[in-house]
Amino acid sequence: MTVALAVPDVLVARAQAGDEAALEALFRAFETPVYNLARRMLRNAEDAEDVLQETFLEVVKSIRDYRGEGYLWGWIRRIAATKALMRIRRDQIRATEPLDDEHGKTGMHVGANIDLERAFGQLTDTSRAVVWLHDVEGYTHEEIGELMGKSVSFSKSQLARAHARLRGMLGAGEGAQA
Amino acid sequence: MMHCTMDDLLALQAGEASVWARRHVEDCAACRAELDSLYQRVAQLKALPALRPPRDRWSIVRDAVRVDRVRRRRTWSGWGLAAAAALVGILLVPRFGPDGSKLHAELANAKGQSATLEDQLQNYDVDGRVLTGRMAARVAELEDKIAVIDGDLARWGAVKPQAQDAELVQLWQQRVELMRQLVNVRVSSARYVGL
Repeated sequence: MTVALAVPDVLVARAQAGDEAALEALFRAFETPVYNLARRMLRNAEDAEDVLQETFLEVVKSIRDYRGEGYLWGWIRRIAATKALMRIRRDQIRATEPLDDEHGKTGMHVGANIDLERAFGQLTDTSRAVVWLHDVEGYTHEEIGELMGKSVSFSKSQLARAHARLRGMLGAGEGAQA
Repeated sequence: MMHCTMDDLLALQAGEASVWARRHVEDCAACRAELDSLYQRVAQLKALPALRPPRDRWSIVRDAVRVDRVRRRRTWSGWGLAAAAALVGILLVPRFGPDGSKLHAELANAKGQSATLEDQLQNYDVDGRVLTGRMAARVAELEDKIAVIDGDLARWGAVKPQAQDAELVQLWQQRVELMRQLVNVRVSSARYVGL
């Protein structure tokens, strides 16, 4: 999903002044991209809704600190990604799942002819987050490593494992590796 | 024959591949096909439809905004009130002589009532929870009016040095009335949730 949303400076200034209508306009403008990002990174729809809410509570609280460096969506997206990653870490701690676990959570047969969206959903939380942030949102491995508190090579290896797994799950739909 | 690994393919996609991988993919049809598949997968991921939130969460965010605004206003009001009280203390010393004892008593009474109502308000607003948007709006309205009066009180000495003392008493009495309304709103909300 590409977000090419230009937000007028005057709207941001009004939001920074605490104007409720301006804050709602920002919420309406970004609620879908934020939810979509969270939903793609997280397995659970309710968790994604919570991330949406937490993100905008943070936006409301911190928008006075936004100085216009970069575009607004980048600033909001970083807040959302951080919130989603925190939730992944929390769930992994609860489930004692290692952060770099490369196995899927379900018994999906390698080579099954499933569509990409389903295959993507079968990746581990960490792999899914890395794939989405890198391939769709355009984050660099350096940025992902920083967000996750991990190294660049961790991000790269997660991406490679995830694509190898996607390729395996999509199977016949793609060319076979010799 | 050795083929490209997924790391090689991703490096090719990013334009960071080794010389060997770049040469190999030119000669190997299987690896070219894998690279094409990778490009297609990424393109398909980008083309996935946007998932929309199933419920509107704005009302929750909005209520939090209002609570935060009220809290900040209250903090400001507290400082304003303290400054006003200090100023009034300074002003009262020369103004109230034996003839101004009635005004002095009324002022002391209004200030006492105001302090009592502030205490009551704290009891009904422990966590700053607001039940409905309408209630939050009413609270914000009353807080606004109180903040204006506090501002007037704080500026009393500088802006109206020659004003009548009765006017000062009137300001405090207006504040008491607004505080009373604010407490009533909080009491109603507490009853509503069965506290």
